[in-house]
Amino acid sequence: MSRRFGGLAVSALGVLLTAQPLNRLTAQHFSIGPQIAFGDYKEVSADLHYRGGGIAAKASMSWKRFSADVVLSKLNYTPEGGTATADFEASEVDVRVRYYIAGPVSGELGFINRNTDPEFEAQSVGAAVIGARINYLLGPGVRVALNGGLLAGSKFSGGGSVSPLGAIQLGLGLTVDALRGRLQVTGDYGFQRLSRETDDGSGPASAPIQQSVGRMGLAIAF
Amino acid sequence: MRASTWTIVTVAMLIAPLVSAQTIQNPTLRRAQHAFDNLDYRQALTEGRAALRERLTGYERARAYELLGFTYSGMDSILRSVDAFKQVVLLEPERQLDPNRTSPKALSAFQVALTQVLVVRQLVIDSVTFIGGQGAVPLRYTVTQPARVVTRVIGGATSLRIDSTVANGQVNLRWQARTPGGDPLPAGNYTIVVDASVGQNSFSTSQPIRIAHGTVDTVAHLTSLPGYTYLPETEVPPKSWKPMGLALVYTGAALAGTSALSSGDLGKVSLREGAVIGTGVVVAGFVMMLKKPAPQPARGNILYNQLLREQIARRNTEIAQENTRRRQQVALTVAPAVRPTAGGVR
Repeated sequence: MSRRFGGLAVSALGVLLTAQPLNRLTAQHFSIGPQIAFGDYKEVSADLHYRGGGIAAKASMSWKRFSADVVLSKLNYTPEGGTATADFEASEVDVRVRYYIAGPVSGELGFINRNTDPEFEAQSVGAAVIGARINYLLGPGVRVALNGGLLAGSKFSGGGSVSPLGAIQLGLGLTVDALRGRLQVTGDYGFQRLSRETDDGSGPASAPIQQSVGRMGLAIAF
Repeated sequence: MRASTWTIVTVAMLIAPLVSAQTIQNPTLRRAQHAFDNLDYRQALTEGRAALRERLTGYERARAYELLGFTYSGMDSILRSVDAFKQVVLLEPERQLDPNRTSPKALSAFQVALTQVLVVRQLVIDSVTFIGGQGAVPLRYTVTQPARVVTRVIGGATSLRIDSTVANGQVNLRWQARTPGGDPLPAGNYTIVVDASVGQNSFSTSQPIRIAHGTVDTVAHLTSLPGYTYLPETEVPPKSWKPMGLALVYTGAALAGTSALSSGDLGKVSLREGAVIGTGVVVAGFVMMLKKPAPQPARGNILYNQLLREQIARRNTEIAQENTRRRQQVALTVAPAVRPTAGGVR
């Protein structure tokens, strides 16, 4: 429970950090809004397969060459066949800060923190995100983005480790402006794969974690 | 009587002496003219000479000599004709004979007479307005003999020499209407006096002028350059399949990446989430492919407009400087006033 509160505190802090300078940074763009989320989660083997849905909130801002996204999501995963029997709830904080480099490319740093409840029904994960993002303006008010990177320094509630290149993430995003940019329709896809290995003294054992999440929603832009 | 009737009567009384001064009243001269009209040259000579011995107005005296000149030329007595015309020229230096109504012999005698007396004729000063120091008043006159001609302007305490030259025939001058210090001549009434002298002979004529001062017009600031218009700073690029293509590439990259990066230990990878979002991206790309593209900045036009704005600003700066200078200048208007009686032999 205390871990979940920690995650919520980090989430709230992220939103505050993003939203607080709004009244001073007139050049920045800021948007915030709810999303519905749906996902697919697998752990260790194909038998531990979950699917579920939930809600999310996404805040985005940009200022000069910087931009940032903060996503809070909560999904209720239900076993999808296999040997899993119990549902669990995954609360995730995903914070990304980007710096525009050149052309459509931005460098990206951030972190993810996913807590599960019940605590040991699935692995809670924390990791830093190092990656890049490519943005393209498809047309007036329509932006598409592709991002990818490594989940560095991954930590798991059940222990285990990941090789430096074993944890990766991939994403696809779409933003469509409406009402002269005051409203945005958002769609995001995120894929994570963590090639986790555990060792209980009998030698390394593969315990991979893989999650695909799709989110669709609206945002109000300021 | 009404006021208008009084006015007419008064005007008539004032004009009457002027009209009578320009008509022949002397009966002897009338008879001479009648005899000339009847080609009775001897009678015309007798009556004309007799009229000259009587008391005549200046106009009548000039007509009497002119009648003698025509009569002598009709009688082929050219020298006497020239002598008579010389008297006409001295009495009325501006006198011109109508070549369509005058015999060639009389005309040639008149021209010879002109060359044998010293007069300054046809002094003309054109009306002109110019900025003090930047323009000039055109003056012209004709001297009938080679002579030293001095042109002066006189008015109040002002007496300035405009020109001094030896001339014969038509003389054209340009006078800047400035004082010796270079300042524009003060506003007021002046007289242009032309004195011609050769040996013992001299002649003087004059023309009154009025000089008025005014403000110099300033130049309006420019909002555009003639012939140059601002160009649109954005332009709509042609429709392109690029949005659709890129949407497919992005979606394909995401789905292919998901498939390639998924762990083999976890069985078949779920592409449901990626497919849903990817479909949205592809639909957006398709719509954008059909939609009119957003206007893009036209760099060439932006630079052109910037150059045009700079040119207009530079020109307006020059205009402002020019207007500042013009506000310190004075516009001189020089116009001839009513000419008094013509000049004469001194």
